[in-house]
Amino acid sequence: MVGTHKSGRSGKARRLEAVAVTLAMLVAIAAAPVAGAQEQPAQKLTFTVGIVNDVDSLNPFIGILAETYEVWAGMYDQLVGYSQKDFSPVPQLAESWQVSPDGLTWTYKLRQGVKWSDGQPLTARDAAYTFNRIMKGSVEQTNYGNYVGNIKTVTATDDATLVMVTKSPSPLMLRLAVPILPEHVWKDISGKEVETFENEKNAVGSGPFILEERSTGQFVRLRANKSYWAGAPRIDELVYRVFNNADAQLQALKKGEIDFADGLDPAPFNSLKNTPGITAVAADYSGFDELAFNVGAALDTGEPIGDGHPALKDKRVRQAIARAVDRQALVDRVLGGYGTAAFGVIPSLYKDLHFAPGDGEAFDFDLGTANQLLDQAGYRDTNGDKVREMPNGGRPLRFRLFARQESNTSQQSVQFMQGWLRDIGIATDVKVIEENRLTEVIGQGEFDMFEWGWVVEPDPNYQLSTFTCGSRSYKSGGSVLANLSDSFYCNPAYDKLYEQQSITIDPARRAQIVKDMQRMLYDDAPYVVTFYYDELQAYRSDRFAGFVPQPDPGGVLLFQYGTYSYRAIAPPSEAAATGGGGGSALPLVLIGAVVVLGAAGALLVVRRRSATRDERE
Amino acid sequence: MATAAARSFGLTAANRRIGGKLVGAVLSLAFVLVFNFFLFRVLPGDPAKNLTRNRLVPAEQVQALRESFGLGKPLPQQFAGYVRDTLRGDLGISYKFRRPVSDVIAERIWPTVLLLGLSTVLSTIIGLFIGIRGAWRRGSTFDRGSLAVSLALYAMPEFWLGILLLIAFGVGVGPLPGLFPTGGISTPGTDMTSLAGVLDVARHLFLPCLTLTLAYLAEYALVMRSSLLDELGEDYLVTARAKGLRDALVLRRHAVPNALLPTTTLIFLNLGFVVSGAITIETVFSWPGLGLLSYEALRTPDYPVLQGVFLLFSAAVIVANVLADLLYPYLDPRVRTG
Repeated sequence: MVGTHKSGRSGKARRLEAVAVTLAMLVAIAAAPVAGAQEQPAQKLTFTVGIVNDVDSLNPFIGILAETYEVWAGMYDQLVGYSQKDFSPVPQLAESWQVSPDGLTWTYKLRQGVKWSDGQPLTARDAAYTFNRIMKGSVEQTNYGNYVGNIKTVTATDDATLVMVTKSPSPLMLRLAVPILPEHVWKDISGKEVETFENEKNAVGSGPFILEERSTGQFVRLRANKSYWAGAPRIDELVYRVFNNADAQLQALKKGEIDFADGLDPAPFNSLKNTPGITAVAADYSGFDELAFNVGAALDTGEPIGDGHPALKDKRVRQAIARAVDRQALVDRVLGGYGTAAFGVIPSLYKDLHFAPGDGEAFDFDLGTANQLLDQAGYRDTNGDKVREMPNGGRPLRFRLFARQESNTSQQSVQFMQGWLRDIGIATDVKVIEENRLTEVIGQGEFDMFEWGWVVEPDPNYQLSTFTCGSRSYKSGGSVLANLSDSFYCNPAYDKLYEQQSITIDPARRAQIVKDMQRMLYDDAPYVVTFYYDELQAYRSDRFAGFVPQPDPGGVLLFQYGTYSYRAIAPPSEAAATGGGGGSALPLVLIGAVVVLGAAGALLVVRRRSATRDERE
Repeated sequence: MATAAARSFGLTAANRRIGGKLVGAVLSLAFVLVFNFFLFRVLPGDPAKNLTRNRLVPAEQVQALRESFGLGKPLPQQFAGYVRDTLRGDLGISYKFRRPVSDVIAERIWPTVLLLGLSTVLSTIIGLFIGIRGAWRRGSTFDRGSLAVSLALYAMPEFWLGILLLIAFGVGVGPLPGLFPTGGISTPGTDMTSLAGVLDVARHLFLPCLTLTLAYLAEYALVMRSSLLDELGEDYLVTARAKGLRDALVLRRHAVPNALLPTTTLIFLNLGFVVSGAITIETVFSWPGLGLLSYEALRTPDYPVLQGVFLLFSAAVIVANVLADLLYPYLDPRVRTG
């Protein structure tokens, strides 16, 4: 008797009900793919890009993430763009420009016949409005303040002419990365309202794509601007789909739910190289990694802060360490070969500005020479513990070395470095911490060395500014706050060159100064630049072809300075109309199986029930 | 007889008990309110600095941004402002999205309620069913099979289970095609109010819901099974049988109600962990709910959003616990007079 399963009628009925409801739900869900497949609009050509970080605010004065800038690049035009070939200034809304002999007055001729997406004409007055709003605004300055800091006045002398007068000559006037906004829309949004303005409904722009819909945490959808002045995109719709997880993004690409993914790691990238229908591209990129030193932390006023190791204030020690880092080994073993060994802070894809040390002056990997240099400088191991001491025989050369928790590259690089440094008699305490925390540690000067990197813009001004005396931490309200400098390098000669390059308009002369600055940095070694890493991108080549790299050849296919690829891509053969994936027979089979199982289950229950009833009677 | 007196006495006792619970709940909520503020201030990182990272923003501008967040004021003053605004129902403006936190949360709450609600209900029903059945027919094939599966599921980290299911049913392995989407809540461009839109959401819901259901049903099944096994050895069941009750009634009227007590406690206690599960699973499946929102907010760190979301989560758990307390007297008569 015990052990046979029986239950009361009402209990059984209820359970039966539950089973039925569950089954019904399963069937409904399993059936959904079929319904969804039927719902697919047939003719629209949609290009879907996976992003691993949601865009923040589509308001051009508020958003700040790289993903958001990519969306704006599609929605808005600037005065001057960056060429696809080599980032040199090219006409965008400004068809041509002229600078006065004193280098202070710039006259831009605006393209005629350009229309906003609501049909209104775009004129020089819109451009003047945009710049004036930034110059007079406060919120507006957060994103674009550095572009207008040198500008005195901006006026539209007529619908086609924009005149800007600057305080000092500046090459930045051809690098004004400011989206031109329609005055007739933005004049109604006050300086207060702009702080929380979403710019999601009926956003008006002049770019090759028009914002259609944004769903936070999910996607941004844009449609092609069929009357774009530089030619209509060949795709109909552009979707950025948010993944908060790189694995899921990779799987979605393999499945064909998205057409493009970037920021891939070497292992998945290699697996994609052999996947049919997918083309994987290791593109030259504008980022570098470095081993940075605390060369003597101080505030912008010169007041010392932090507790950096005194040995690292000695440039001979830093140069010795520069010879103890095997850059090629890092490229091969940490990056899986996807990168190049590096020396200067301007990556090699900016050909005109890039500095490379000549033969004989490079700090090539050579542990023997590194040891010798440290011996000569007086840092010897006097107590036989295999760690060198300061020349006065006191403090050992034991450095705190920080790596970033978020980055495998950082952690692996640091492990290699630790081994090489041990070989030259330098001990390291490796600490892996979050980037947020490391930013604070650095800002307070409480470190000796760390591994991090930068992404460098086509204009070198920003990158070079991070090594100026004025970029060191500053005091505000009693607390020390981090600024851009993370090595606390301060060299008046360098600062002088920095000023000079910022007022030199002639590209060749400026490039020479920029190279001299890099040479200075290289010799003073606040950083040991380790490598320029590749950007690993992949796309569905069975669905789209015609991507154009920037720079050409070898550069990135998307996330460029411009919208070149978005406007060029089309299906590999225009004839192949239908997309991949879609409904197969399997969902039907599954539904069938569920229904059969459900029926069998129900039958079983009913039979049992009658059996118990029989037994009872 | 003294029934009337006893009953009225019981009623006041119950009232007092409920009152006590409510006061406790309000105190907990107040504590969370205070704790939230300081908890997130301990997070490393300066929001203004992080938001402007890698771009040439002059130091004065970063400082202005910091001021506009109210971060320039001394901490006690920030705290007073936070408490005042929160009590007024104003959760502040998100640093990242620059929109009122209440709007951001309102947008994200329904996906989470849908996902957590459905998976909690499913895992409870299925888990209890498996547990009861397994215990009642201890040693049967069903029992041994479900025990093994439950133990395996119980030991599995949620995100790992999620990624496995995503690869198997989202992308497809071998001959099995990807049946379900790999993430998100809907296909871009679908009209959410139409029938097709509803089905589209259901299709997107399937995998995350399955993951959470599997992850939690195991625990419920195991606890239900073991507590029912405990009850089955009790003398009162022998008495019940001796009275001539059918097995089904013995199970339903006597054993299960008693065995349900620890399970109910567990289910309500678990609500807190379900929330953490939501953060993991929403991240794996890019499900645009509150879990994903808090994950994103942690990166900045977006204090107002974090405070708002955690206040909401804590309130939900506290309310659930109060509900559990109120429900208990009905499940366990001993509590009624106690």
